[in-house]
Amino acid sequence: MAEVRITGLHKRYGAFHAVRGIDLDIRDGEFTVLVGPSGCGKSTLLRTIAGLEESSEGTIEIGGEVVNDFRPRDRDVAMVFQDYALYPHMNVAKNIGFGLKARKMPKPEVDARVAEAARMLGITPLLGRFPRQLSGGQRQRVAIGRAIVRNPRIFLFDEPLSNLDAQLRDEMRGEIKRLHQDIATTMIYVTHDQIEAMTLADRIVLMRDGMIEQQGAPLDLFERPASTFVAGFLGSPRMSFLPGTLTLDGSAAAIRLSEALLPVAPGRSLNGAIDGQAVLLGLRPEHLTRAHAATPAQGTFRYDATIDLLQPTGSRSYATFRLAGAPVMAELQAHDVSRPGERLPIDINMNRASIFDAKTERAI
Amino acid sequence: MQPTATISRLKAAGAPPRLSGFAQWADRHFKWLLVAPAVLLILALSVYPLLFSLVVSFINYDFQVPGHAFVGLKNFERVVFDPVARWSLWLTAWLSGISVAIEFVLGLLVALTMVRSFPGRGVIMSILIVPLFISPVIVGQAWTLLLQRPFGPTNYILTQLLGQEVTIGWMTESPWLYFSLIIADVWQWTPFMFVILLAGLTAIPPNLYEAAELDGVNAWQAFWAITLPHLAPMMLLALTFRLLDAIRMFDTIFIMTGGGPGTRTYTASYYLYTVGFTQFHLSQATAGSWLFLIFTALVVMLLVRRLLKTEPV
Ligand SMILES: Nc1ncnc2c1ncn2[C@@H]1O[C@H](COP(=O)(O)OP(=O)(O)OP(=O)(O)O)[C@@H](O)[C@H]1O
Ligand SMILES: [Mg+2]
Repeated sequence: MAEVRITGLHKRYGAFHAVRGIDLDIRDGEFTVLVGPSGCGKSTLLRTIAGLEESSEGTIEIGGEVVNDFRPRDRDVAMVFQDYALYPHMNVAKNIGFGLKARKMPKPEVDARVAEAARMLGITPLLGRFPRQLSGGQRQRVAIGRAIVRNPRIFLFDEPLSNLDAQLRDEMRGEIKRLHQDIATTMIYVTHDQIEAMTLADRIVLMRDGMIEQQGAPLDLFERPASTFVAGFLGSPRMSFLPGTLTLDGSAAAIRLSEALLPVAPGRSLNGAIDGQAVLLGLRPEHLTRAHAATPAQGTFRYDATIDLLQPTGSRSYATFRLAGAPVMAELQAHDVSRPGERLPIDINMNRASIFDAKTERAI
Repeated sequence: MQPTATISRLKAAGAPPRLSGFAQWADRHFKWLLVAPAVLLILALSVYPLLFSLVVSFINYDFQVPGHAFVGLKNFERVVFDPVARWSLWLTAWLSGISVAIEFVLGLLVALTMVRSFPGRGVIMSILIVPLFISPVIVGQAWTLLLQRPFGPTNYILTQLLGQEVTIGWMTESPWLYFSLIIADVWQWTPFMFVILLAGLTAIPPNLYEAAELDGVNAWQAFWAITLPHLAPMMLLALTFRLLDAIRMFDTIFIMTGGGPGTRTYTASYYLYTVGFTQFHLSQATAGSWLFLIFTALVVMLLVRRLLKTEPV
């Protein structure tokens, strides 16, 4: 149980600057997810916290103590790796207990702790098996067990579920979340999967090129992305971006997409954006629905769309059409549309639309 | 593309043409024609000599006794009851055992050191494996020059270091001559162990050590828990290869001691060579070779069976 404070952290591999200035405060017991595209420095940051990489600059504090010069074993953190990293010739019980044994804990207590961890993870029947006799999901449970028996101050996970198939991944995701609710220890979790990030995190730290692009509660990032990068990274299917111009007419603002004029929700702050500014209008599929009412509701823009691509998923159908030349995706009810080429009225909920500056790609 | 297009093209190729009787026969047996040269070569160069040697070991093939009479087990008897033969077998066993054991420990230590990257690693690595490329004859000669009285520098250096006169006959005095033979072998073959073990070490995922470090496992425990189980198959492989080579030890003996003094440094190979090619008791040497082959086969079988049993991790 400890908070983590990272200040001005840099990591260079020779000339390559992998982590460039990270400031991060993680509260005690918080579940933080580091997410971002491949190669953005997530693992490097995590490994630096663990002490497996030396930082080039900056400080790392765990529980109010600067740990830069501590060896990994003295930081009291546990890490779960993508490829499990189990001891191949030890059975599950020995694998889980080896860290305790190495730290000279008396055998009865080791056994008790191993049994407790196995019970929590539902692997008690596997205790006598060897890693090669286990499935991927079982191995990862053992790896997690090895971390929890030590009762560390912080848990670090580096893409623990990436080697598992989709169904098992969903299941394990739920278990990790439950584990966090049960033991309430600080956890830092690396993934490049935005669903994992959204579902697990108390706080998402979205990284890009070794820097933090945006951090905050999952819904904050989802609903108020700071840039097109964040908006595009979170949410599946992706947000659609439509290039247009901002028009300010007295108090009423709107976005012009060639012939169409989409009203900006009244009262929305525009942070000093000016008339005629080039913008990108960001629309998530769920902001576009099939129009049923005779007249559009307040703040919605109705558009007569010709569907040119249809992707049914069973519960929903994703329909793509062109709006002012750019493709937009709408999330419709399964039976709203039956085949491509169909024309139907779509309501665009402008109250929830995001607006970005076209040049800087930052949110307005 | 439509699937039917593919089907019709296949059909256009048609069924295989019907062949005449001879063509059918040739078609079926052509493969034998192709392997025949290789088979003949093996028969001529490997199977025939082997069978011939088996025959020779049961007949008189001694250049000093005329005729090729069948003598039963007499040739084998001579070898079994020759004290020099027994001594040479015993010497072969412990000389190769000790050499290989030392090479193994040294090779492992060097491999453990070299698995980390540090400046100058490449250069040191190249220097370390140089002995592997040198002919054993040259190695024996070089060590002879270094050790031999009175001109070799070894005694001189020892004298300087110990502060008292050292006059060891490194090639003539027991036990020093065994020491010399082992040194030459170790010098030449430690790199072999090192290279194989290093390859095994680099194949161990570094994550395992990182996880162990976070677990608070110390270096010694990590060696037992991670390195040893991962390296075991490679170790066994290196030991098997090396041991098989070491029990045929001949060239260094030939150069350094010539089997002497007397017959003190006769290894099995050297003994067989002497019996066959300096005393010209060819049938006795052949019988001895078969006996030695049986011993070797036993060792090989034990090692190889163990090697095949190691499970992948
Ligand atoms: N040991 C190293 N030496 C040199 N460069 C490295 C080293 N480790 C990582 N890098 C580089 O640092 C950058 C960040 O790597 P990192 O492993 O942190 O990415 P990541 O965000 O975890 O990506 P992924 O999602 O693919 O795991 C990458 O461009 C990588 O090439
Ligand atoms: Mg990574």
